[in-house]
Amino acid sequence: METIKGLTRRASLALAASFTALPMLGISGQAQAAPVRGGKMIYGRYADSMFLDPVLNDANVDIWVMTNLFDTLLQPTADGTGVQPGLATKWMLEDGGKKLVLTLREGVKFANGTPMEASDVKWSLDRARNPKLGPWGDLVSSIADVAVTNPSTITIMMKTPDPTILAALATFNTAILPQKLFEAAAGATDEEKAKAFAERPIGTGPFLLSDWKREVSMKLVRNPHYWKKGADGQALPYLDELEFQIIKDDSTRLLKLKAGEIHGTELVPLTRVKELQADPNLRMELWPSTRVVYLSMNNRPKLKDGSANPLSNVKVRQALNYAVNKDAMIAIVTQGQGVPMTSFMSRTTPLYFKQDLYKVDVAKAKALLAEAGFPQGFETSTMLVSGNQDQLNIATAVQQMWAAVGVKLKLEPLDNASLTKRYRADDFSMRTGAWTNDIADPGQITSYFAYFPNIGSLHTGFQNDRIDALYKSSLEEIDPAKRAAQYKEIQEIYAVQAPILFLFETPYAVAFRKNAEGFVQIPLGNNLFEAAYVTK
Amino acid sequence: MNRGTWLLGRLAQIVPSFLAIGGLVFVLARLLPGDPVSAVLGDRASDATIARLTAQLGLDRSILSQLFGFLSGILQGQLGDSIAYRVPVTRLIGERLPATLMLTGFALILAIVIAVPLAFVAALRENRWPDLVIRGVFQVGLSTPVFYVGLLLLTGLAARARLFPVGGYGEGWLEHLWYLFLPALTLAFSFAAILMRSLRSAILLVLTAEFVDFARSKGLRPGLILGRHVLRNALIATVTLVGLHVGSLLGGAVITESVFAVPGVGRLMVDSIFARDYPVIQALTLILAVLVSLAFLVTDIVQMWLDPRVGR
Repeated sequence: METIKGLTRRASLALAASFTALPMLGISGQAQAAPVRGGKMIYGRYADSMFLDPVLNDANVDIWVMTNLFDTLLQPTADGTGVQPGLATKWMLEDGGKKLVLTLREGVKFANGTPMEASDVKWSLDRARNPKLGPWGDLVSSIADVAVTNPSTITIMMKTPDPTILAALATFNTAILPQKLFEAAAGATDEEKAKAFAERPIGTGPFLLSDWKREVSMKLVRNPHYWKKGADGQALPYLDELEFQIIKDDSTRLLKLKAGEIHGTELVPLTRVKELQADPNLRMELWPSTRVVYLSMNNRPKLKDGSANPLSNVKVRQALNYAVNKDAMIAIVTQGQGVPMTSFMSRTTPLYFKQDLYKVDVAKAKALLAEAGFPQGFETSTMLVSGNQDQLNIATAVQQMWAAVGVKLKLEPLDNASLTKRYRADDFSMRTGAWTNDIADPGQITSYFAYFPNIGSLHTGFQNDRIDALYKSSLEEIDPAKRAAQYKEIQEIYAVQAPILFLFETPYAVAFRKNAEGFVQIPLGNNLFEAAYVTK
Repeated sequence: MNRGTWLLGRLAQIVPSFLAIGGLVFVLARLLPGDPVSAVLGDRASDATIARLTAQLGLDRSILSQLFGFLSGILQGQLGDSIAYRVPVTRLIGERLPATLMLTGFALILAIVIAVPLAFVAALRENRWPDLVIRGVFQVGLSTPVFYVGLLLLTGLAARARLFPVGGYGEGWLEHLWYLFLPALTLAFSFAAILMRSLRSAILLVLTAEFVDFARSKGLRPGLILGRHVLRNALIATVTLVGLHVGSLLGGAVITESVFAVPGVGRLMVDSIFARDYPVIQALTLILAVLVSLAFLVTDIVQMWLDPRVGR
């Protein structure tokens, strides 16, 4: 079928492009020296991982480093929008998208030297789609059956054609684990075995975990059996050792980088990007991300305490959006490192549709408020995580901008657990929020932001029957053009209805010493160290 | 009552107070709004996922049954698994406790080494320039926030002058001492100020006592008078102060550890409270309570040695 071919073609094109494009993505304009083999890289992280099991984990601190230990059948391309071969070298959608046949890469070994078998693949996929295990099963819930056709072929039967299946097979939760080792781990239940296995996880990824002191450091060593080849034709990774040091304090982490005690660090505060760019020993890297920053509003007619909720009026929500100057906000909060949101999804999300979202217009905001019956404005509040400087800056900026149209914003700083509790109970007027995609597809963010039945559209209570219907049909729409049209309409309705306050997108800000190169962070957040190296 | 029974009595007080502390922390942790499951799973998790994990962790049982499980666990030495990290809390804490103990101990020694000689200098030169300078400097130390002192030392001595590493803990004893010097100094700074002031006034007081006049009139050398009579008597109040302050040193370690990226229990405590990781909060509080109780006990013993009237 043509549409299916279309999908595969996009994938294979991306694949062809990615191998050549990868080294060029190293952002800085300077010519890259030839990669150096051996040695150790130390990377400062703001928080430690918690649970290195692809299926049962639930946090970015796990997801973003797991690709260094495990591989998926397909892999996201470096631009984060397509897929390329991983542990499978070929894939073919047949039967109108109801059947997916994958050819496994030959000679792949786990880090302990045992060969990867087709049975490991079947078992891993069955585990990933088990709805009782972990929060990610929905991403592959369209799979009806996984069968080993022969030692190098896997056949996946779909319940319904699923346009996201290739992206899902490139997402962390479908990583391939060694079945026998996992099952031999201590414990009776899957959860217990996963706990034991994740102490010293074995995968087919570029590195192998050798030592983990929680909240202190994680040491990874080169997997000598890794299948991917470097620029020199030899097996990757270049590094012998990769150490993650956990340094929670931003200032200390940057001081350590400047002092040369670590080679690189993540999560550079955007307000310090310019300072690091000016340091001759460092290289600031700003990787395109899927991160959007917004304020979600309670759209229900009444608040939890029974009082009337002005935010339930769409004109009020539009007015509040018109009252915010996103460019000024970006200048204040990110020192110019962000870009305004132009849809509820980031520019890097597939099927993103660009719109002119609420250019600042105070007069229009006032007019809309008057039409809605609030000519003098009103008082409302937003929750934010106390101690989080970025969120405080955002909330304060919004507070000042809204004051110009008579809306008084009260700030309610709360610790994260209290905030989450009230949020889950729909007991709030507004809250600060940020989002990154886990899968290269618009479906996930839409199911959280716009599709009511999942989590009540970010707990805003926003419900639009047209969006819900479009989203549901998009789940089975394998015609890319039709699917793009569905997502265009969803994004347009969402923009007009404005259930959230649209703010800005930010890049992933990482910094390295000049002698440390080859790191890649894809828009989904994955930290790739397979081609990283340190020169003298 | 002889000293042996006195010591036994002190020890006997400790066990019930631990159970009481355990029960109290158990209840307090649960009075915090929010719960560990939604803290771990975050905003995105569905209600079904939350319910499943809650049941799995036994958090859906009644508070009394959970409390009973926890207290009987303590008596068997079982403190449970961390909810966020999914490893036994004893291991989580065991990996970090040495760094905190070393940092606190180091800070204590530094504070004493700094404060005792300066207190003598200040007391013996009362209201003259050395006294004024010493008291002035310590006044600044006392009123400057710990994290600020830490950042100043980090930026100046570590990042700029490269005399010390910027943060971390190193490997092996010698490296630990080297890495922990700046954080210990930071932590010691305000404590040394308190110690110096208290010791200085104690010395001034003792210097006016009749037995000192008597010792002088016996013709004892001034050094001997200071060492044997003045210091020993002045130290009694100071030792109590040191003992009482071990708790606040441990508290100060939270901030210091975080600025200097020292992998100790302080930061773990803060993170666990934010994550509502009940088992870690409970176990850490208990262990810190044990440490503080031990510090009090040692204080009492030292005092008994300094002042033979105690414990009689």
